[in-house]
Amino acid sequence: MMRYRRSDITTALILLIPFLLVYGVLFVYPTFQMVGLTFTNAPLIGEGEWIGFRNYERLWGDRLFSRAVWNTGYFVLLTVIPSTLLGLLIALGVNRLNGWWQSVALAAFFLPYILPVSVVFRIWAWMLDSQFGIMQYPIAAIWGENVPIFRTLPLFMPAVAFITVWWLIGFNVLLFIAGLRNISSEIYEAAALDGATRWQQFARITWPLIWPITVLVATIQLILQLKIFDQIYLFGQGGRTDSTLGMVELIYRSAFQRNQGGYGATVALVLFVIIVVVSVLQYQLLRAKGQR
Amino acid sequence: MIFKTMKAALVTSALMVSAAQAQQVVEWWDFLGGGDGVRMKTLIEEFNTEHAGEIQINATTLEWGTPFYTKVQTSAAVGEGPDIMTYHLSRLPLGVSTGALSPITADDLAGVGLSGDQFATANWEAAQVDGTLYAIPFDIHAIVLYYNKDLLGAAGLLDDAGIPIGLDSVEGFTTAMETLQTNGAEYGVSFQSAGNGTNWRIFYSLLGQQGGSFIDENGDFLTDDNFDKAVNAVQTMADWVSNGYTASDVEYPASIALFTGGNAAMHINGVWEVPTFTDLHAAGDLFEWGAIELPMFFSEKATWADSHAFAIPNNAGNELTAEERAAVMQVIAWMNERSTFWATAGHLPAFNAARENEEFRTMQPNATYSVLAETAFFDPSSVLAGVASPVYDAIGNYVYPAIGGEMTAEEAVTEMRDDLDNQNY
Repeated sequence: MMRYRRSDITTALILLIPFLLVYGVLFVYPTFQMVGLTFTNAPLIGEGEWIGFRNYERLWGDRLFSRAVWNTGYFVLLTVIPSTLLGLLIALGVNRLNGWWQSVALAAFFLPYILPVSVVFRIWAWMLDSQFGIMQYPIAAIWGENVPIFRTLPLFMPAVAFITVWWLIGFNVLLFIAGLRNISSEIYEAAALDGATRWQQFARITWPLIWPITVLVATIQLILQLKIFDQIYLFGQGGRTDSTLGMVELIYRSAFQRNQGGYGATVALVLFVIIVVVSVLQYQLLRAKGQR
Repeated sequence: MIFKTMKAALVTSALMVSAAQAQQVVEWWDFLGGGDGVRMKTLIEEFNTEHAGEIQINATTLEWGTPFYTKVQTSAAVGEGPDIMTYHLSRLPLGVSTGALSPITADDLAGVGLSGDQFATANWEAAQVDGTLYAIPFDIHAIVLYYNKDLLGAAGLLDDAGIPIGLDSVEGFTTAMETLQTNGAEYGVSFQSAGNGTNWRIFYSLLGQQGGSFIDENGDFLTDDNFDKAVNAVQTMADWVSNGYTASDVEYPASIALFTGGNAAMHINGVWEVPTFTDLHAAGDLFEWGAIELPMFFSEKATWADSHAFAIPNNAGNELTAEERAAVMQVIAWMNERSTFWATAGHLPAFNAARENEEFRTMQPNATYSVLAETAFFDPSSVLAGVASPVYDAIGNYVYPAIGGEMTAEEAVTEMRDDLDNQNY
């Protein structure tokens, strides 16, 4: 067991205390305040009166809240695993290329990632526009007529999920490529000498060795997509927002649009707890599986 | 030598300070981007030139909609708001209920010679909450019917002056669209049928044209025969879609493109698009076009309208001094007197005198539709109404699907009424 010298502890504290101070003031303190808010009927700005668990009771029976949880869960299902696996697939493909081609391919997949969400919205809203969208030509060829994708309820979430994956895939690809490059090519050569097929090489060498990266990517994506707001808000604005809203949009509506800060804080707290629980669970489960 | 220079410098800076103290700087926030915004910037520059050394406007343009209003609310609460801001009258009840606005007193008005009778009655009333004035109107903006003169002329729907005839009444309008489509137009009319903006404005106009109202004196929604009138309004719009006279699920920019591309012979949209069509026409890229007041489909004339107004935020702990307030009122009065120029953005000046002068009377197409100011039907006065409000959301959730045929008009209006009544407490 390592024993720490006095000077080590001092150094550690000196380096950590600035961060801890800032973290405490800007994150921990407001979080405690927010928990307190959930027991009041405070508006967006200012104090409110203590109302006990009334916000939580309202949450339990709120049709919008259950819809928001359901939509967020559905969105996570549509994006987390697909974007992780697709990122790995693309990374494997890009890794096979050499030199200039590899740089071009990597840049191409990473390019959408640098776009701000409003630009992504503009591009896809116009491409899929029901009257003038360029994608309506193939759609009309298959379906017989133009389809207003974002205004057709069953198609809304899958379309937004697809666009989100397109937008963010570059980040996953980058992480996976870094992981793949860490696998020594000698292992593959040895396996090929032993007669391993491509699939066996992937399943027995690549997949297990890349597992820590896969877990990391999946966890990052999970936490990110549980907080979905921008894309759903932008593509759904003006339409059937009660049917498509996610949890963050419910927080925004309650606090900023309806001026109900206490209720908004309640939804936010529930979301916070969900994210912590789900991501810790996922990380532990997947890591445990990998270590077997 | 150095002492002399220092003395000179001190005296100069003292003079500068006192000169600066004599000049009032008015902090101004607005949400006017795009075509409107260009014209507003011209007005502000003109004001600053005229009032150099006395009053200067320091203007900032922020993002339109919910972001503007939440920013105003939060800044006013901590005393960091502006001295003057533009405000939609439809948002006034909510702004007043959150304490973000400062009442405008009779003394304020008298100081610059403004009074209620210089504005249209409905407009002045919309600027008050419970009898107290909180804003001074600047313009009235409504929806109008834009039309393609070439297509309508060919279909025999224009009189000698180039104004459409026979559009009043639901049957008349339908027949006109039928004729236009027989003569080759793809759609009789186009409008933003996806979402809640134009859908609300047309629905609300149709409701008003039947003499209906959205909220009664108790704050309940669509009570008694207002319910049936609302169903009728939704059904009329749904029929236009189901009979193929207009397309469903058309987004805002696409609805304009359908008109300018010649696919739709008519177009229902706000007056704020007048500069778009004017500029396109001037560049030779648009056919001959005109704009008239919305047809009278039912028994009375009514057109949805909202109003940009000037309001003074209630900056907690940092209220305006008497001189600052006087400066702000001077800005408001000056702007109103110059609002005929603002009309080039398509809006109607709220100030009666600015609508009655020669320059406005010859401004086209404004002069043609300016008559709607008399029957302007302002957004209901409720904390749940106004731009980007629960009422708008309800339209997106219920009326919009009904127009597209996914719900019956009856179901849509029932659910909308129940939804909004539930949010009333």
